[in-house]
Parts: sequence; structure tokens; C-alpha cells
Amino acid sequence: MTSSAEKPFGGGIIVDAVHGDIHLKPRELDVLDTASFQRLRHIKQLGMGQVTYPNATHTRFAHSIGVLGIMARVLDVASDRLGLDDRQEENLRLAALLHDIGQYPYSHMMEGMRATRLTEEEFGESPSSERTAGPEEPEFPDHESLGHLIVTHQEDLIKALGGLERAEEIARIFTRQDTASLQISKLIHSSLDMDRLDYLLRDSQACGVPYGQVDINYILNNLKASPGGMVGITSKALPAAEHVLLARYYMHRTVYYHKTTFGMEEACRHLLRRIRGREEYGIPRHGGEVSEIVKGAGLLTFTDAMVDRAVREAAHDSDQVVAALAGAILNRRPPKLLKEVCILAQRGEAHHEGKGFRTDCKHRLGGLAKQFGIPLGQFIFCQTRPLRLEQRGGHMTADEARDMPSEQEDELIKVFKDGEEEPTSMVDVPNTWLEVLGAYFFQAFRLYVVCDGEEQAGKVADMREDVKSWDKV
Amino acid sequence: MDRRQIAMKLVVEALGIEFNISTFNDRLILHKAIYLAQAGGVDLGYHYRWYLRGPYSPTLTRDAYAVDLELVGGGEDDSKGWVLHDTWREKLNGLSSLLAADTKADRADRAELLASVHFLVATKQIAEREPGKIRDRLEEFGKDFAEEEVASALRGLKEHDLLC
Repeated sequence: MTSSAEKPFGGGIIVDAVHGDIHLKPRELDVLDTASFQRLRHIKQLGMGQVTYPNATHTRFAHSIGVLGIMARVLDVASDRLGLDDRQEENLRLAALLHDIGQYPYSHMMEGMRATRLTEEEFGESPSSERTAGPEEPEFPDHESLGHLIVTHQEDLIKALGGLERAEEIARIFTRQDTASLQISKLIHSSLDMDRLDYLLRDSQACGVPYGQVDINYILNNLKASPGGMVGITSKALPAAEHVLLARYYMHRTVYYHKTTFGMEEACRHLLRRIRGREEYGIPRHGGEVSEIVKGAGLLTFTDAMVDRAVREAAHDSDQVVAALAGAILNRRPPKLLKEVCILAQRGEAHHEGKGFRTDCKHRLGGLAKQFGIPLGQFIFCQTRPLRLEQRGGHMTADEARDMPSEQEDELIKVFKDGEEEPTSMVDVPNTWLEVLGAYFFQAFRLYVVCDGEEQAGKVADMREDVKSWDKV
Repeated sequence: MDRRQIAMKLVVEALGIEFNISTFNDRLILHKAIYLAQAGGVDLGYHYRWYLRGPYSPTLTRDAYAVDLELVGGGEDDSKGWVLHDTWREKLNGLSSLLAADTKADRADRAELLASVHFLVATKQIAEREPGKIRDRLEEFGKDFAEEEVASALRGLKEHDLLC
């Protein structure tokens, strides 16, 4: 990076592997240089993705700068048309830079721990004490909420941003809570998702898979802002926009839902859930503790290293399941996939093999664990989130989306049809894949076992044979 | 269903609302009900953004959709066997009357107004003492609430300890 003193405009340039030169303004450099922002260097973008793709060690730090780079290009097109003043423009750039400041260690891996149900809780024979949902252990907050806390509590960031009032203003933009400017709100909601454009390209490049290589230049070169303040693409860029949706779908199937990465992350979530709150490991027990950590000096230790240290030490835990899970992660012995059921269905298709598989696990997994002499806690059943072509329109069919002034429709990609001044949602454009396939979802249901030693590993083939038929609807 | 999805479904039901995302109003009511529950101290960790129809959580949408997929067509309901802690149940009992309305459309309007007003005040964007400004801000987003409706919503929120 070039220092600010060397640049005539007082900012700096970062050479980014994905987007090339990204120009930063002085205040952005100040933010970049804070310890709170530098923390993002120590959080891998793809969580445990590197266990499958060795080069996927890129960080939230690089991604954040990439999103700023895209925001700058969007503003070049839209700023004048939307009548944004200098301060609004600067706020939007800073919000782009800070949008991931609240990420958890290992990104979504640790954030998703709040949802984890231990196998004995879910499939055990007797109800456990976990069957009450209540206030003793508030859930881990979404990372956007943590981001808001960080930006409005960490002194280094507040100073870099020019004071608490400004920090709150910017936090409201990147957490999408700002109501003060309809124009900014429209820009944030109606522009192509800058976060998505960057992560598809960056993750794809780092993993060495081609699926996320979207045509970003064509898309950005065909952006347009309407008199009403909406940002969209011209109709000739429609194939490129469709490609973004398909790219996201295939990146999920190949990278984000990869059986090895997914299994390792699930194993880690189960481990963290078991050891959370134990003093020797330092993993926060609940959301209240997480919030306190990120507001204080503990933020700087809230990185991948927090998890790494806990895993290293847990490998020697006296609890057999804890030690087995930690050993598997530490020594890269991924959980063995016993069975996977993949479905591609529409919402109306009520019964499918995935549900049958899950029901069978519920009734038969305890028996399998006993039969093979492996603790139930070393079995992990998990299912991916339902994956649709466009998540943001994900809860409705194209017909519904057309009929309703839905919040989510605001976020769908907007297209300027030829001769029209205001853009319409992509679902309104005939003959697109979104229109045809929008109601379908993909979902994978998986059962893994974490093997502790050669003897257990030697039983995998027999276990696979036993569970082969566990998917009858 | 995962842990948070189970808790979310139980909270909605404790508010006297059937878990249902079939129509736009159903989804709107679900979003605003969970928002108000969180404001009342039943913290499920959902982050809410501001959209044209007030506070809205994309993460909640994903969870609601996933729950719906499991339940559709008489699927197994994982929330059976789970109960809400008494403390939460008591808080939600009080809130359910705040959301009461004769029709679904009325309930959706009421939920939208309450949640939107709370959001603007709680995120310190407009002071509670300025119902006129709150009304104006909502009008910018296409809402046609009268100042008295806003003031009434503020009173309701205070009576239920949702605003200090």
C-alpha cells in the first residue's frame, strides 16, 4: 500500500488482487489503520474453507476493501443522479468499508453456533435440560448487530470516523437502519449487492474454482440511476445479472456447502457449544458475553486464533466427545460422511427424501451409536439452508413477488427495460431463469461421524451400509 | 429446526399468532411481532434493518422459510417438547394484547406502526417527544399514519415497557 503522504489527493492506493487499484481517502486510511479494523486480517473469509481449498486463506480485511472499491464505482455512476452530497458519499464509502466489522471468528462458522443442537439433544432418548428456550443464555447476535456495537464503542474507530455522532450515522448505514435519507436507503437496497459481487469473485479466485467469476465490469459499466432514485442495470446486462444468481448457486454447491468444509465447520460448532463458558477455553457462553467482548479490549482477541487455541487445548480434554471433535479439527481428520440426501424441490412438495432421512436419524441414530460403540455426540446430522436462485426473493414465488410491495423485492436486482425511465424488479422481466426457477430450492441433508482413532474409522464402511436405506419417505 | 428457529416459533405462538408465512400480511406480522418481542427483552439475536415497511430481518426471513419448509404438508414439528421459559412467557403475555386487532389486515397495520415507531426512537433517529416528526418520516416511506396514531402507538409502547 502507498502511504497517504505520498499521494497528491492525500489518500492512498491499495492494489487488490481482484479489482486492481482501489483509491482510499484519508479518513478511510485512518479507519484502516485502527486496531479494531486490523482485527479483520485475522478472520478468514471462508471460515474453514482452507481445509478443502488450501489457498482459501483470504480474509475479511481484503474483502472489506474490495467492497469499498465496488461502492466507489457505483457512486461514480449514481451519485450525481441521486443528488448525494460529499458527506453522504463519504458515509456510504465508509459504510462499505466497515460492513463486516462485526464478523465472528471464522466468520459464519462461529456465528452459526447459536443454532446448533447437540446430537444427544436432537436425537437422544430422553429430553435434556436444553428443552427450555429462555433468557439465561441470550443467543449470539447477528454480526451486523456486533458491527454496530463495535463502531459505536471502540475509541479508535470513533476517533477515526470523526466522533460518536458520525460513527452512529455510519453504523446505521452499514447495518441498514438509516431512515434519514430515502435516497441513501434506496441506493443501499436497490443497488446490486456489492458484498455479493466481491465475495463471489474473491472466493472463486482463492479456491481456484471458476463458478464465481461474474462479469463485474460489464455489470458496473451498465449501471444506471433513475430520476426516482433507483439504481439498476440496463437490459443488455441481464445475462450478466442472471449469471450472478447462477454463480452464487454453484458457489454454494461446490464451495460453501462442500461436504468436507461443511462437516468440519459443523464439528467445530458442536465442539464450541460443548466447551463454551468453560473458563479454560475462553469461548463466550452466550450473546451477552459476546456483546461485552466486542465493546471492550477483548475485541482484539476475538479472531480465528480464539477458536484455534480452544481447539488445540480441547484435544486433551477428559470428555471423550470433546477430545474427539477437537482432535478431528486439529489434525484435519474430517468427519466421515455416512450418507447424504440432496433434494431439488418446490415448496409445495411436502414430503421428500430429506425429511425421511431426518426422521430415520431421529428414530435410529441412537441404536446405531450403541451398535458400533461410538458416543452419540460424535455423530453429526446437519442440513444446509435451503438454497434458492435468489435468496432475497427466497420466500415467495415470482407471482407473489410481482403482486406484493414486498420488502425483499426492494433488494432484487432492478432492470431498466428499453424506453422506461424507472427500473423494474428482475422477476418482472419475462423469460429469465429467475422467473422459471425462482420457486425451487436445493437442500442437502447429511449424517457424519467423527472417528476417534483407527478402530472407529474401521467401522465406517459398515455404518454406511446400515444407513443406506434411511431415507424412505 | 435449529435452536433459534424453535425459539422463534414458540415466541410467535406465545404472542397468540399462528406460525404462518403464506401471505404478505402473515410475513409482515411475523417480522414485527418478533421485533417487538426482542424490544421487550425476548432476545433471539435477530438484527433488524429498515425497509419501506419498517423494521425487517433477512435472517428471520431465512429462518421462517426454513421452518415453513419443515412444517408444510404436516411435516414433523421439532418445537414439540420445547417450552418457553416462564420469564419470557410472562413478557409475551403482556405484549400479545398490544398486537391484538379484529382482522389480519388491521393487525398487520398495527404491528407495522408499533414496530416502525419503536425502531425510529430506539435507534435514536427521532426523539420520542416528536410524534409529528415520526409521522413525517414514515410519510417519506409512503406510510399514511396520522400524528395521533403515532402518539397512541408511543403510549402503547410505553405502557408495555418497550420504551423507557
